[in-house]
Amino acid sequence: MVFFKHSFLAALLGVALSFGTAAQAQEVRIGAVFPMSGPNASYGDIFGSGANLAAEHVNADKMLSGKLSIQYEDSQALPQQGVIGMNKLVNVEKVPYVLSAFTGVSKAISTVAQRTKTVAVNGGGVGPDMAELGPYFWNVIPLANFEVRAMIPYLVKERGLKRVVLVYVDDPLGQAIRKELESALPATGGQLVEALSVPNTAQQFSGIAARVRDAKPDAVYIASYGSQQLQIIKQFRDNGVTQQLASYSAFSVPEINAFPEAKGALYTTQNVDWTSKDPVTKRFVDDYKAKHNKLPSAYIANYYNAVRLFALLAKDLQKKGKPITGENLLAQRIETKTFDLVGGKTSFEANGTVIAPIQVNEVDGKGGKAVTVAHAK
Amino acid sequence: MLLLQLLINGIQVGALYGLTAVGFSLIFGSTKIFHFAHGSAFAIAAYVFYYLYSVTAAHWLVAALAAAVAAVLFGILLDRLVYAPIQRHEGSFFTVFVASFGVGIVVQNVLGMVFGRSFVAVSTPLSRSVEIFSGVFVSPLAGIAILCVALFFGGLQLFLMRTHIGMALRALSENTELVRVFGLRPRQLSTYAFALGSLLVVPAAILTAAGSGINPAIGHHVMLISLAATIVGGVGSLRGAACAGLLLGLAENLALWVFEPQWSEAVTFIVLFLFILFRPSGFFGRAVTS
Amino acid sequence: MLAYVLNLATLICINAILAITLNFIMGYAGIFSIAHAIFFGVGAYTAAFLAVSAGASIFVTVPVAMAVAGVLSLALALPALRVRGEYFVAASLGLQVIGVTIFSEWKSVTGGIGGVIGIPPIEVMGHALADPIEFLAVALLCLIAIIAVIHVLVGSSFGRNLKAIRDSESASLAFGKNVAVIKTLSVVLSASLAAVAGALYAYYLSFINVERFMRDTSVLIMAMVIIGGTGTLLGPIVGAALLMLLPGVLRYLPFLPQTEIGSIQQIAYGLAMVLLMIYRPGGIVGATGGEKK
Repeated sequence: MVFFKHSFLAALLGVALSFGTAAQAQEVRIGAVFPMSGPNASYGDIFGSGANLAAEHVNADKMLSGKLSIQYEDSQALPQQGVIGMNKLVNVEKVPYVLSAFTGVSKAISTVAQRTKTVAVNGGGVGPDMAELGPYFWNVIPLANFEVRAMIPYLVKERGLKRVVLVYVDDPLGQAIRKELESALPATGGQLVEALSVPNTAQQFSGIAARVRDAKPDAVYIASYGSQQLQIIKQFRDNGVTQQLASYSAFSVPEINAFPEAKGALYTTQNVDWTSKDPVTKRFVDDYKAKHNKLPSAYIANYYNAVRLFALLAKDLQKKGKPITGENLLAQRIETKTFDLVGGKTSFEANGTVIAPIQVNEVDGKGGKAVTVAHAK
Repeated sequence: MLLLQLLINGIQVGALYGLTAVGFSLIFGSTKIFHFAHGSAFAIAAYVFYYLYSVTAAHWLVAALAAAVAAVLFGILLDRLVYAPIQRHEGSFFTVFVASFGVGIVVQNVLGMVFGRSFVAVSTPLSRSVEIFSGVFVSPLAGIAILCVALFFGGLQLFLMRTHIGMALRALSENTELVRVFGLRPRQLSTYAFALGSLLVVPAAILTAAGSGINPAIGHHVMLISLAATIVGGVGSLRGAACAGLLLGLAENLALWVFEPQWSEAVTFIVLFLFILFRPSGFFGRAVTS
Repeated sequence: MLAYVLNLATLICINAILAITLNFIMGYAGIFSIAHAIFFGVGAYTAAFLAVSAGASIFVTVPVAMAVAGVLSLALALPALRVRGEYFVAASLGLQVIGVTIFSEWKSVTGGIGGVIGIPPIEVMGHALADPIEFLAVALLCLIAIIAVIHVLVGSSFGRNLKAIRDSESASLAFGKNVAVIKTLSVVLSASLAAVAGALYAYYLSFINVERFMRDTSVLIMAMVIIGGTGTLLGPIVGAALLMLLPGVLRYLPFLPQTEIGSIQQIAYGLAMVLLMIYRPGGIVGATGGEKK
């Protein structure tokens, strides 16, 4: 009787123990700090769809010894909430790798990332200040300075528009764009005639339109975002600014596309060839289309890549028998020359940013028409 | 030419500011209620017009009337359901102000939930500017704005001078107690003040929706300007509020000639701040005892 | 779960300090300021600037932040001396707008719209406080210290003078009270203590930007004071706790659309303000209408 009970207990214990270690071996967790509620919740869904698809593929391929899962925390796109979510991921879930979205949130969590040696990856914000958040902050999206470097030669050389006026919000993104224009324009034979900064809460632009007209430009570059850029476009067109408009990827939103006054405006975006035969890209596009009944967008591809990047690095670490920690991931990334991601072979700069091809698009009311692709130099 | 353009822009913007400010000044002067939700009346009128005209393609007259009804109804309901009960108990400046502020927050967020937080505009060819001479662009909307303001202000003066209610309102703003002595009921009169004051925002709301566009936060912005104009012009003086509104519109635009655009909003408030420090009675107002 | 609770508790402490200090001038002195977020910001930016450029010792940065906020609050004290009621509200609104513009433009100190990142953790005698539990302890200590200071002041003759001025300024003048000095002192005190909250906030998040110090925050703090109860010691703390817990509670209600959580939260406290003013102007904790204790 006793012997039976003992062995039964022993067996139970054995099963429990094996369950425990098996569970540990079965899960590799990473985190994501996305807006899951609040006005930007739809972005959280969009980014998550890319990340989740990547995790699915990683697990289907059995790339890692252990199941990859993503723990999502809600940032509401607010820095304060983002820090709370990040703290939870780092202290409680103890993840080595976190996906991040929205510039304010990214900046807020970057300090935690540095301090705890956790990798944080941005796939959405393009502000060049995202390159200055420390070695543990990586960007899988090409930053806005590359976008400007692609737009300017097209504007000046292909379209013959030499005199440019910049209207920008005086934040790091706007300031960086201004700096890029100041150097890129003279180099291609153009000229930054005037740079007008606007407060990000401004709603009246008729006065600024007057100053733009006064400068007699050939083209107007707008560095704003959200609903303000729509107001700028409308009030400029209403107030006699008839020149060609140009901007960065902030113009790639559906509201701009549907806005009649914006027709013909030029803007840059990350270039991803959705019809590419490259196996990683093709599988991503096909499976995404099958699941969601529409083509993915660059943001979705970026967050897919962020997860895939982790899997590639972790696989190498596991092969070497090293634990998956932020430190090791960083070292492994520096060691690896290129990665096979959606969009082709990608490599990282020393400061954790990627160079990627940029395309110039035109607003045509039907989703934007690509006019040219500039490959990175 | 830039200066002339900025001057014209300033007049156009200032005229609308002035009209809204007069509405606020009328309410505040006669009822002494700090109707912070005045901006909400503006926002409601603007969105009703936008919805009916742009979304359901109703005739503009129908949309405008509906906007007017909505704004007036809002003002009256607020007076009856919120301010009246408070004034019955205690009616200190603080409680009324806070309640009004609370209403403002609720309206802004409800509008945001229904219409989205992004900006919307009424699409109309009237907002397109025409170059009337070299370097100076004016849109038909500007002309309509100035015409509307003149009409409404003229109408208001007539109403206040000639009708019984108008005279009672003027009396109320000068001396509430005496009004009671003469057998008039301040409570009833205040409802008229709210109706009239709220009506005055409607043209500005419609013109702003068509011109620069609106978003749910516009109520706040309008409220600040109306408040600034009322104080700078002098509490109790409608003429003062109108002039001050015009002045603030001009200041906001002319500032662009000299300063960077960041500072144009701050310029308005620096002007207000200086007035409060050195001349709280404003241009035409009564002397203010602290 | 523990991490979440610790975070929430720390933020409640910081907001409670803001609410208590605003209550000091609103509830006791009758000065309705909608510019409180500016002093929060001044404290935060000063502490951040010092920590990044000089050193992060708590005994240096917090007093300096308090001093800077105290001096700048004279800009608010001036109109408080000249006008009251609606005029003062307008002046404080003006100060709020001007303050935000300065925060956005003074890039060398505030980092402009981009803000300040990488603020090092605060140091107490050489020991860096990076652990959340330690930080909560410090925040709690600050909160208790400030409660004590306010409690003592309110009970003292200074507090009585303040209430006398709130209830009837002319009578106080007639009694020979130096109204100008008392009012100015109360504004300076309120602002410098609010700066403590700002310093704590900067060290806690390691990142600050102008968005946190705009009118919406001033309104939120005001809502905390009003809903909790003006003119009481417990009221602002209750208000702060309630309004900080609200978003978390709302997220658990399944019938609410997730994208509208922020709006619903604001509608909730907007409605609370209106209803309370009609039925219970003293707030949750305060005395029911009419009396001001």
